Amino acid sequence: MIVKPSFNKSILQTCLQVTSPRKELIIASLGCLIGTTLLLLALQLYQDAQSYLKENEGPKNYFTINKKVEGVALVNLGKKEESFSKEELDNIRNLDGVKRIGGFTRNQFPLTLYIWPTGKIGLGAAAKTDLFFESIPDEFLDFIPEEWDWEENSSLIPIMVPKFYLDLWNFGLAPSRVEYPSLSNEAATGMPIEVFIGKNREATLDGRFVAFSKRINSVLVPESFLTWANKRFGQPDSGDFYFLWKEGAIDGPPHSREQILEMKNEPGFASWEVSPLNNPADRSPISSITRILDKEIQPSRIILEVVDSPSPALLQFIKDQGYELNREFPKQDLIKKVLIGLFIGVIGIGTLLSLLSIATFASSYRLVIAKSAEHARNLLLLGFSNQQISQVFFASFTRLFFVILILTLVVGLSGKSIIIERAREIGITINELVSPNTIFFLVLYAIVYLFINKRVIDRSIHDLL
Amino acid sequence: MLIELQNLIPEPIPQKIVEASKVWGTNLRFETNSNILVSAQSGMGKSTLLHIIYGLRKDYSGKLLIDENNIRKHSYQEWENLRKQSISMVFQDLRLFQHLTARQNLQLIPEVNASSPSIEEMTAQLGVENCLDQSVFTLSHGQRQRIAIIRALRKPFRLLLLDEPFSHLDEENQKYASRLIQEVIKANNAGLILSSLGSSPALSFDQQISL
Repeated sequence: MIVKPSFNKSILQTCLQVTSPRKELIIASLGCLIGTTLLLLALQLYQDAQSYLKENEGPKNYFTINKKVEGVALVNLGKKEESFSKEELDNIRNLDGVKRIGGFTRNQFPLTLYIWPTGKIGLGAAAKTDLFFESIPDEFLDFIPEEWDWEENSSLIPIMVPKFYLDLWNFGLAPSRVEYPSLSNEAATGMPIEVFIGKNREATLDGRFVAFSKRINSVLVPESFLTWANKRFGQPDSGDFYFLWKEGAIDGPPHSREQILEMKNEPGFASWEVSPLNNPADRSPISSITRILDKEIQPSRIILEVVDSPSPALLQFIKDQGYELNREFPKQDLIKKVLIGLFIGVIGIGTLLSLLSIATFASSYRLVIAKSAEHARNLLLLGFSNQQISQVFFASFTRLFFVILILTLVVGLSGKSIIIERAREIGITINELVSPNTIFFLVLYAIVYLFINKRVIDRSIHDLL
Repeated sequence: MLIELQNLIPEPIPQKIVEASKVWGTNLRFETNSNILVSAQSGMGKSTLLHIIYGLRKDYSGKLLIDENNIRKHSYQEWENLRKQSISMVFQDLRLFQHLTARQNLQLIPEVNASSPSIEEMTAQLGVENCLDQSVFTLSHGQRQRIAIIRALRKPFRLLLLDEPFSHLDEENQKYASRLIQEVIKANNAGLILSSLGSSPALSFDQQISL
């Protein structure tokens, strides 16, 4: 017996074509559209937020530590205890979870600032304040402002202060003083600042706020400026001059640290003593000076970048060493937590809607098959296979599903474009429209969705005979 | 195809009928390639027997073997293959697709037996060639019966099951149909089981059983 396949697909389709349950299919399609769009957007935006946070203030975790400042230790020689020794820095650097550390450099000269909120020097009232400058290596800044360059003979010192200084001005100082106007970011960066250096104002330089840091809780200037200024204007204060005691008696006028150190090789040096200028009777061994000298260049405050949140081991170490920890703007963590919560919520709703739509599709297609059950059964009796018949229903489902997927992409991407536009308005740049991860997820999702419905259709046909 | 019945009793059938029957509850063989006529009055289980052979009913006790295989053990897949390639059947209620034309009905089979005559030849032999492009819905029962017979003959088969196929055909048409059936069965080298209410169609039978 010679057999040839006769089976004509279009007749098979015509045979099985019946009016579909429109209402159920529309509900299922809408559910699928909304659910999939939510899932897609949530996933994509989560990745966008992650990469944005990573590129900007992101998951980097910063905090500063310093040694505890005791009241009495502030006097004279006690000051030396503030700084970290080389070994201590190495210990911290090698701690688990620490990515890198950087030291704060401080100004070694008196500093007074006149800030002119009117935008013109000599016009209106200036806010006058004694202040300090600090600098850290550029890589620890949350961003490097355009004007963050300083070279010798530059006319302007770029200054970066915490954003909340501006808030303090606007919500604290300005409302209480008629002569101080409220300042926008732009107005604040436009204010001329006179920087007076030295006790007797030996030098006057011009400065300007160039940016507001959200990370570093300090008044920052470029490292290059501070290094130069410390060299040029840095002067030993009373802490750097000592009475020198030889064999129980004061030896001549006060000596500077350098002068004392130069006498290192003289006989009996180790037995000499020193005392501070304002308290000549408070003698201490000469070794206290030489020790300070070794450590003097070390910073007293350091900034740490850790891999994630500080580990319990790290916190314990800091506690054991008696350091003080100052978390720099832990707000980032909060934002991250809120974002994650939000995305989990949206993903949850999207998943729920998708599951419901799968269930609705399943029952809709059971209904479609039930409506053409008589024809499908007769086809099975004629010898058509389960596969051949379910294929007809599955093809119609697949067509519908792909239309929904395309609509999902259109709706999702339009949503994304709007979000990108909005984000740009507030200064956040989101690069890509869809990430490969999202595409991968969508493909996987489509496969699972199709697979589940294929099974439902197969089973429904199978149960006909 | 060799069909063997071993103490086969369909479940809902009354005990009285079983006792009187020469088929139910007995051991019976339908030899390969033989033509069998099963005749009985209505309600004796003619259709039931054909349905059991075609795998549509499983509510029976005893055994039915096809080519020495117990059909109760056939898988879904095996039944699919049997219906597609080995057994062809004309149902009492024909099971045509009323919303399709006669021609579409004849075309809508999974596989065609290439040695069977063409649609045109067969419809011409049975006098329904003019109905081909009409919707089955508009045909008379006699015309539908002939279309259903042609459809069954177009499929490949080694066993043909006909359940009261001539109930609405006049003698003349029965004769034409019988001739065509005989011809195709011979060409296919196949067997036939035909059920009838009593009258004997113009076919030669190797075995005649009254249920």
